[in-house]
Amino acid sequence: MANEETPKTEATSDLESGADPKAPAAVEAAKVAPEHDATAPNDKLEPTRQDEGPDSDPAPGADDDHGHGHGADDHDHGLAHTMPVWMLVAVLGALMVLTVLTVSVTRFDLGSEGNLVVAMVIATVKAGLVVTFFMHLYWDKKFHLVLFLTAVLFVILFLSMSLTDRGEYQTNIDWYQSVSTANTK
Amino acid sequence: MTQSTSESVTKPKAGGHGTPPQAGHDEHADHGHGHGDGPHLAHHFDTYQQQFDAGKLGIWLFLLTEVLFFSGLFCAYTVYRAQHPEVFVYAHYFLNTNMGALNTCVLLISSLTAAWAVRNAQLAQKGLLIFNIVITIACAFTFMTVKYFEYAHKFHDGLLPGPNFHPTEQVWELDSFKQKHPEAAEFAEMLSKRAEARAKGTAAEKEAPLITQRPTEEQIEPLMKAGLIGPNSEEPMGISRPRNAHVFFSIYFFMTGLHGIHVIGGIIVWAWLLKRAVRGEFGPKYFGPIDYAALYWHLVDLVWIYLFPLLYLIH
Amino acid sequence: MASPSTTADVVAPRSTSSDDNYLTHDKGVLSWIFTLDHKRIGVMYLFSVLAAFALGGFFALIVRTELLTPGRTIIDHDTYNKMFTLHGAIMVFLVIIPGIPAALGNIIMPLQLGAKDVAFPRLNLASYHLWIVGACFMLSSLVINAVDTGWTFYTPYSTTTSTAVVPAAFGAFILGFSSIFTGLNFIVTMHKLRPPGMHFFRMPLFCWALYSTALIQVLATPVIGITLLMMIVERTLHIGIFDPTLGGDPVLFQHFFWFYSHPAVYIMIVPAFGVIGDIIPVFSRKRIFGYKFIAISSLAIAFLGFLVWGHHMFVSGQSVLAGTIFSAITFLIAIPTAIKVFNWLTTMYKGVIHLDTPMLYALAFLWVFTIGGLTGIFLAVMSVDVHLHDTYFVVAHFHYVMMGGAITAFMGGLHYWWPKAFGRMYDEKLGRIAAGFVFTGLNVTFFPQFILGSRGMPRRYYNYLPEFQPLHQLSTLGAYTLAVGFLLTAYYLFRSLKHGRIAPANPWGATTLEWQCSSPPPYYNFHKPPAVTQGPYDGYENLVYDEKIGGYVPRKANPA
Repeated sequence: MANEETPKTEATSDLESGADPKAPAAVEAAKVAPEHDATAPNDKLEPTRQDEGPDSDPAPGADDDHGHGHGADDHDHGLAHTMPVWMLVAVLGALMVLTVLTVSVTRFDLGSEGNLVVAMVIATVKAGLVVTFFMHLYWDKKFHLVLFLTAVLFVILFLSMSLTDRGEYQTNIDWYQSVSTANTK
Repeated sequence: MTQSTSESVTKPKAGGHGTPPQAGHDEHADHGHGHGDGPHLAHHFDTYQQQFDAGKLGIWLFLLTEVLFFSGLFCAYTVYRAQHPEVFVYAHYFLNTNMGALNTCVLLISSLTAAWAVRNAQLAQKGLLIFNIVITIACAFTFMTVKYFEYAHKFHDGLLPGPNFHPTEQVWELDSFKQKHPEAAEFAEMLSKRAEARAKGTAAEKEAPLITQRPTEEQIEPLMKAGLIGPNSEEPMGISRPRNAHVFFSIYFFMTGLHGIHVIGGIIVWAWLLKRAVRGEFGPKYFGPIDYAALYWHLVDLVWIYLFPLLYLIH
Repeated sequence: MASPSTTADVVAPRSTSSDDNYLTHDKGVLSWIFTLDHKRIGVMYLFSVLAAFALGGFFALIVRTELLTPGRTIIDHDTYNKMFTLHGAIMVFLVIIPGIPAALGNIIMPLQLGAKDVAFPRLNLASYHLWIVGACFMLSSLVINAVDTGWTFYTPYSTTTSTAVVPAAFGAFILGFSSIFTGLNFIVTMHKLRPPGMHFFRMPLFCWALYSTALIQVLATPVIGITLLMMIVERTLHIGIFDPTLGGDPVLFQHFFWFYSHPAVYIMIVPAFGVIGDIIPVFSRKRIFGYKFIAISSLAIAFLGFLVWGHHMFVSGQSVLAGTIFSAITFLIAIPTAIKVFNWLTTMYKGVIHLDTPMLYALAFLWVFTIGGLTGIFLAVMSVDVHLHDTYFVVAHFHYVMMGGAITAFMGGLHYWWPKAFGRMYDEKLGRIAAGFVFTGLNVTFFPQFILGSRGMPRRYYNYLPEFQPLHQLSTLGAYTLAVGFLLTAYYLFRSLKHGRIAPANPWGATTLEWQCSSPPPYYNFHKPPAVTQGPYDGYENLVYDEKIGGYVPRKANPA
């Protein structure tokens, strides 16, 4: 099959382009390479040409929650997990409820900061739902979650340092403003 | 055998050939330069899985940049609200909470259809995919339409940023204020009439005191909170809007405007994907573009989830 | 199943520049403008960045010439302000930030990974086009009414001055996206396109450096984007965010600006560390010492770089508490940086040093960057900074690290990878002479500025007290020396393209993967990624110099 022949030709052309790997150990590897696909040591890369045919016959509607494909180093079959419809609709329902909640809470006065805190908490819950389910992070590589949390962390860092600082010279700004409004009167 | 495997097969496909890429949104349309071993598999990737994973990581990184991008405005908002809460209380009466809530719901629905569209693409359900993309675009248009009405309203009422801020109505004349704080509205009305009389009226009126009896809690407190009276008002001895009230509207227009630009960008991307979906390009091996566009779209929704309470639900 | 061909085939790759390679593969201007080949994109970046460097350098010469005498020498004060602003803006946004990653990184990094291209080739091309567009906007301000705010665009002057701030700021905004897309591309490339056997800790240090830089690019650049946008909107619509008369806060601009611009200086220097990390082992014929420490320290610097922006604002009115925190963390950054320097020095210990031009630049880097870095620590001390802020001491510090650090490393990398990229060797003697001019020029230009600054000479000043004149004149002399060095370099590098000796695949005897394809590489890089079984700096003992081709080849099993 194509796969077995591939390594030969490509190994040769590698060698032709002067790609002799570094040392005696690597020469061993080069000898070994023609037997196996050169990508074999790394199981993250699938053997290349044996499985993925063109997607021109997508088997419409077959196997509700399963995709096709042998690229299955992911949790489910197919390239990635497929969201079930009921889950999508349920999340939307929850989001709608939370939206109604956040609007109705404004009817109660919880103190100057209380309303803000409640609103932010509800917003964060909604955001969490969107990120986890709609954006699929629950089933994704953990690294993406790390990236996302890092961004949030940096935003918090940015905001908090600027805030603590601002308090320092607010009196200066206020004094300046009162002076300038007094002058314009 | 050598030919089919070690050479790149040049099968130029329609579209995507040599066109400059959509910035960050879809990196895996036809390469045009020749493919790996299937349609939609770029030549420098070995497997569809690798291509998909690369694109996923790429779009998440792009979303990070968007979060940081908006963070500057959230920072400005936080700093200003911390220092001048009265400006924010004052201004929120001018906003229509119902329209904001409607927009929130519209975007949430569009998020659903976007996520659903990803599923459809994975399962090669072409009809449903097209339907969901269309609904997503329709919701986006609805959002922009509601936004347009809101902006038009603001323009009409003179609520513009910076030196263009000349509100045509006093806040205590607004329905939203009257409904919430009827006593305060009445009291403010009376105060402003008296103040006007003192400024321009007869000699007797000039002498008349501004207030004749001790005001109640319900009359005073909302006015203080909104910076209409007291040290933060433009008229410390009378009643007027708070100093630098326009700052809120600057922030409002900047944040919602930037968000709106991102919505429009999303519409363009979805329209392009709609065209490709109609051509039947997506299936279990290749649905990356839909997935990535949906992720972007969810981020747009996320930003609005925070904007809505911060701008519309100030108390 | 074929056994590997005889070693004769292996050691003598056909690499004459008349062969088909990425430079000759497609013809015509359009094939360059719309190329998706990372090597071509890198080459276009290289020449664009060098052109911008020449322009920024020209403005620098004007500034230095003007400072030969107090008062007017060749230009008036308003023009002077424009000159130093443009010098700074061009150098920062058009040269150093894109410099090593976009030019050298684009050409070399995928080759070091044995990959066929970066993860998103069209995004890569978009990055380059955005650089061009950003450059056009920025330079348009030159033509309209050159901006004079200083490259830092501080409010309230930038929001009220009548010069063309908007095109310049918008240009920088677009350049920010160019930078973001490059960073994004590199991160995904290194995650997804490494060859079999190359786990993260077998990547060359140049790749580690580019990875750390890319993280900074992706996280920090959007903030300058929104800041510039806010400044533009403030200028045009007067929304009142930074203008105190409208209730705004000018220091808020500084927070926003430096939240990016401090990490930006790490975008400038970390790739330089990577270049040095790749050069020193090769020219010491010795494995790098402390590979893991150097790799992780790049990440540490990237992370810590986000926590210190306030050290640019010690005298801006920010709180003493904030200042103290920023000061303390700034001291911390010295640690991973020093780890690198010590590891490089230890690499050279008991190595066999070859003083070829790239190594000369690397050694120059060690000296000049150490001085620059240490003077940064002086500035990190709040009490000292009160005296030194906005003086020539700061100017000297950042030129030592940016010019002496980033540019020197860029030159080193340019010379190191020039044969690979263009298939030609440059004149080594001229290379060494030019390196001497550059090193001398650097020190003569900027060391006197430390003294000037500590004696009170303010930065960005057109006029000065006569007592400062001798040192200013010395500094200007150094600037011209630098110019000679760079012009000489340009001369012999360009000359080599036509007349240089044909370069072998591996002229320096390096062991990283990019030296395993021909010089210049074929347009497809590698048919299949070479198998990786050892670290990137292992195996010097297995390479021998072959007189016939003028480069290194693997040692034959039977000595012939």
